[in-house]
Amino acid sequence: MPAPREIALEVNGRRQVLHLDPSAPLLMVLRNDLELNGPKYGCGLGECGACAVLLDGRAVRSCVLPLSRAEGRRVVTLEGLGTMEAPHPVQAAFIAEQGAQCGYCLNGMIMATVALLERNPSPSEAEIRDALAHNLCRCGTHVEILASVRRAVAERAA
Amino acid sequence: MTMRARQETSRQELLRQDGVLAITRGRAPTPGTEPGANERDEEDIFVAVFDDGSVAAFNGHVDLGTGIRTALAQIVAEELDVRLDQVNMVLGHTERAPDQGPTIASETIQISAVPLRQAAAEARRALLALAAARLGTGALEVSEGIVLAPDGRSVSYGALLRGARERVPLSGAAPLKRVEDYRIVGKPVPRVDIPAKATGGLIFVHDMRVPGMLHGRVVRPPYAGLDAGAFIGNSLLSVDRDSVSHISGVVDVVVIGDFIGVVAEREEAAARAARELRVAWKAFTAPASLDDVEQALRENPSTRRVLKDTGDVDAALAGAAKRMPRTYSWPYQMHGSIGPSCAVADCSEGRLRLWSGTQNPHMLRTALAQLMAMPEARIEVTRMEAAGCYGRNCADDVCGDAALLSRAVGRPVRVQLTREQEHLWEPKGAAQLIDVDGGLDAAGEVAAYDFVSRYPSNDAPLLGLLLTGVVKPEPAVLQMGDRTAIPPYDYPSLRIAVEDMPPIVRASWMRGVSSLPSTFAHESWIDECAAEAGVDPVEYRLRYLRDPRAIDLVKAVAERAGWERRTGPRMKAEGDILRGQGFAYALYVHSKFPGYGAAWAAWVAEVEVNRRTGEVTATRIVTGHDAGLMINPDGVRHQVHGNVIQATSRALKERVSFENGLVASQEWGGYPILDFREVPEIEVLMMPRPEEPPLGAGESASVPSAAAIANAIFDATGVRFRKVPFTPEVIREGLQPALKTEAGRKRRRWFAGLGGLAGGLVVAAGAAMGWASAIAPARPPGADVFSAAQIERGRLLAAAGDCAVCHTAPGGAVNAGGLALDTGFGRIWSTNITPDVETGIGAYSFAAFERAMRQGIARDGRHLYPAFPYTTYSKMTDEDLLALYAYLMAQAPVRSVVPETKLAFPYNIRPLMAGWNLLFHRPGAMEPDPARSAEWNRGNYLVNALGHCGACHTPRNALGAEKRGAATFAGAMVEGWEAPALNSLSRAPLPWTEADFHEYLRTGHSQRHGVAAGSMAPVVANLQVLPDSDIRAMAHYLASLNPSPAERHPAPLLAAAAPGPRQGGSEGARLFQGACGACHGGGAQEGPEVALALNSNVHGDRPDNLLRVILDGIRPTIPGHGEMPGFRDSLSDRQVEILLRFIRENFAPGHAAWPDLPGAIARARKLAAH
Repeated sequence: MPAPREIALEVNGRRQVLHLDPSAPLLMVLRNDLELNGPKYGCGLGECGACAVLLDGRAVRSCVLPLSRAEGRRVVTLEGLGTMEAPHPVQAAFIAEQGAQCGYCLNGMIMATVALLERNPSPSEAEIRDALAHNLCRCGTHVEILASVRRAVAERAA
Repeated sequence: MTMRARQETSRQELLRQDGVLAITRGRAPTPGTEPGANERDEEDIFVAVFDDGSVAAFNGHVDLGTGIRTALAQIVAEELDVRLDQVNMVLGHTERAPDQGPTIASETIQISAVPLRQAAAEARRALLALAAARLGTGALEVSEGIVLAPDGRSVSYGALLRGARERVPLSGAAPLKRVEDYRIVGKPVPRVDIPAKATGGLIFVHDMRVPGMLHGRVVRPPYAGLDAGAFIGNSLLSVDRDSVSHISGVVDVVVIGDFIGVVAEREEAAARAARELRVAWKAFTAPASLDDVEQALRENPSTRRVLKDTGDVDAALAGAAKRMPRTYSWPYQMHGSIGPSCAVADCSEGRLRLWSGTQNPHMLRTALAQLMAMPEARIEVTRMEAAGCYGRNCADDVCGDAALLSRAVGRPVRVQLTREQEHLWEPKGAAQLIDVDGGLDAAGEVAAYDFVSRYPSNDAPLLGLLLTGVVKPEPAVLQMGDRTAIPPYDYPSLRIAVEDMPPIVRASWMRGVSSLPSTFAHESWIDECAAEAGVDPVEYRLRYLRDPRAIDLVKAVAERAGWERRTGPRMKAEGDILRGQGFAYALYVHSKFPGYGAAWAAWVAEVEVNRRTGEVTATRIVTGHDAGLMINPDGVRHQVHGNVIQATSRALKERVSFENGLVASQEWGGYPILDFREVPEIEVLMMPRPEEPPLGAGESASVPSAAAIANAIFDATGVRFRKVPFTPEVIREGLQPALKTEAGRKRRRWFAGLGGLAGGLVVAAGAAMGWASAIAPARPPGADVFSAAQIERGRLLAAAGDCAVCHTAPGGAVNAGGLALDTGFGRIWSTNITPDVETGIGAYSFAAFERAMRQGIARDGRHLYPAFPYTTYSKMTDEDLLALYAYLMAQAPVRSVVPETKLAFPYNIRPLMAGWNLLFHRPGAMEPDPARSAEWNRGNYLVNALGHCGACHTPRNALGAEKRGAATFAGAMVEGWEAPALNSLSRAPLPWTEADFHEYLRTGHSQRHGVAAGSMAPVVANLQVLPDSDIRAMAHYLASLNPSPAERHPAPLLAAAAPGPRQGGSEGARLFQGACGACHGGGAQEGPEVALALNSNVHGDRPDNLLRVILDGIRPTIPGHGEMPGFRDSLSDRQVEILLRFIRENFAPGHAAWPDLPGAIARARKLAAH
């Protein structure tokens, strides 16, 4: 286990300097040291997507990334997108289309959608489904989630 | 200010407050109630209206992600005539909400909302009475909590209650609103919880943080997923607490019977301690093999219970014109919560506070009271939201874990189960085996139906009770196999029986309980009869249906779906694709027999079957649903969608796999579920029945699923599948029984390993040689002796020479030694090369240092083993050696005594190394080759003198010396890793160019080849300090080793390797998709570092590197490249083998299969994680 050292990164627009083991999973640091609720532990293996955050704008699985991977980089979590009062357009689309049942996977779905729209503002249905293929939902909310993404696409174009 | 209805007030406190109207019902006091603070805890509150106009409503059932919180609030707001946002629902909190049993059987709306609605009506009546007195008239109306008199005067509920303390018993007699007057119920309403969930609000138990909270992990016993048998709770032999003493921040290791938990200040420390804790367990044998689940079910002891016996079944069977005996089977399945269970417990001063995602808070409280030997009245369970559980998961178990750990350390503890623990230990949805006998008469009508079902499941007692030995592991037999066991059809003779039996593996109810498999049998069998009789399957069903709502539903769904009438399977084909449409219907009858119905549901499923690959795709599902009055039609629709998708997943993909009687599916690769690409088009037909009572909608729509799909597959293929799931292998086998997969390829054993080559030759070679003389100790030169430039040069040389790679132990000080090197001759411990006089090289003069570096002789005269690459260091220039000496001597001395290297005879005789040196060592500085460029010569020097690349990449002879000539850089095995060939023997699919070498050595990663992992990762990390000119020189030299490689382009390689097919036509493909696909599936996630089709290791002759990466992942020393999790604790040996085989076949097509994978896996399992 590497010795703790100072690691600086930007999280949700704020510079954070942490004195931690650089191999600590980014997910645990975000949740336990920065008290963020958005990214969730789902599998610890990068399989399910519940832990997704944006790293320099790309959706990554924070459960399998060491803190050092985020050093000097820009991390955005669900909290960094928007708030209850002023949600990000993608969050607003998921709320409007009721894109959650239990909602545990919701973080990953929203993050994957934000990243998708960044690189492809007008994805086809197949591209949406491909982009979410490795984000697992067990409640079977896929219909509402797809509707949420389509709404986000439409509102971005509008 | 927070509205009063949102304040967290216990029911007893609330009853003492002013400004409240409470609708209450008496009950037995909570067990363990003591005089004092909670002496009056014998009354439940259902609805409380406050003087600020807010309303709190209390329900014992909880929201499992179904939206029940919203629907219940609608009911209360409607009856009370208040706005929805005035109502706060309190669900499942043991100090506040009534005990209404576990949230199961789709009962919340149908059963547990009944007193809630009555209480809201009661409150309205009481408030109107107050208003009548206040306003002097009884002719009152209410709107949004404001009572209006005909003359225009008004008073709010809040104003009526100021200073009041109204307590009204729930009579059940207050008048209820008429349905036609509803304004809130029956209208689509957005869920109240989604905005917080979409923005990261505190709502899930996983996010609960309590001051002073520690982190806990549990270590479960090896009898994964079993909860019955004499070994349960008494298999622990020993726990080695010292094995985690090196992990900082570990607070405690708690052991009670077979329960083991670790508590640490930080979560990652707890996780690591749980992984590394050494525990010894007794051997045990699983009670049933479960390789053949059907066989296990037949052999499980059972008691027959006849549920219904009408007509003379035996006579009807004997006289049948066509006997129709059939067996239908259902596998074990997982609830598969996306979030592994979590809980926070605070056990102090004889009280236990618990934050939990439980489905049954009061039942949990009873179990915890037993586990903790504590009265229930001292336990408070706060129910928070959690990942959906669809029946059961480990939500309760983890509460027991947290309670035990918190009590042990006297501080709040959060326990998070791992994905693997959740998969292994959740009480599974039980397997089921149904034997149907029956027959048709000469007219093709059903004459008899004789049905026997086996369902091994119970209520899965709290795991902690079993592990600690509080409860004996003797399985209870619960009568739950009878759900919907009676078919909905009016057959002339009928005999329905269940074989009640205990669980085989830990099992409990899962969405649809035994109804889903039973309906699979009922609805497949009637479909078979229709085909046998040559009658359209929908028409055939209607002959036997008597229930008018069922008849309406069946007809409506058939019409909406565009049901195509047929008299037998149509087998519509287009190329390899066969298309079919299937029907199924069910009324989900649940709860204690004879039970009662929830919503009615019917499916028309449309499928495509690929007859070549066996893949079944559900393309369109039309589901009809009759739930009576729908409180929140949007909520019902979402439940139907969820049921359709989850049940389609269960029918097509899901089966828990077992190995040696234990659960083997530990992650999503081993238990794949439907993904977005596989989601069918779904249409929902909701029967408008607002005048009928509301019915549960949480499970019904899943019940017809598997039968509808099986019937559609039959229509497409003409083949009947009676065993779920319908995976491609099953379909292929069913469609082409003659073309069964040929037997596995012949395997040949593969012998390798340096160890096997070690012979006795070495003894003869060096026996006559003597000791070298010691060089007198020198005082370490001070830092001022050498120039800064010399020291800096030495720093770069140390990096290029990788000194620290071997001379630094994991977690130890740099260059202080202590790393174990496992060679073919035994374990060699690296030494301390810091300038500590006693334990390091502080007493080395330069002459002693130079002798060590060039001749492999320590200062005291001992011969060093050539694991220390003096054979290559000897080629260094004098200036470089001096600079290196300067650098090492300028470092801080570290006192570090490393273990002594003790090789077995004859290698333990160090003087023999003198003979070895005579044979193999060519000392002397390297002379530049004038025919080559300066860059090449520099590269040669860096690679061969300093970098000692050949130490790993050149095979060694039987005596451990690097081979020469063509064998130089021909590749070798080092510590279980393959150091691949760097010469023309390279197996890399694309040749390594100079640019590739440069990128790889500079960044640890080549776009065209892969990531530096294993022993190579620290080497690249060390090279980082070298100037780019040196890295370029190394690349230039290395490229010259393979001067004219065959040209290859990546495109054809990438094209030849199919990414995982859509559905996964084999277990290997599915494992890959689930476990690897997110990063390596060509998907849109943060990409794979290298396409596997280009990865050198996938194309190599040995599986070792790929295998070790799969087991232990990649932790590169250069951040930012190629991190990968290891699957050592997540995949079984069998699964790793299947995965390796798939990756080889799929990404390196044309290469021979790797031989003896089981042997390689067994060897790699024994090696420690790198």
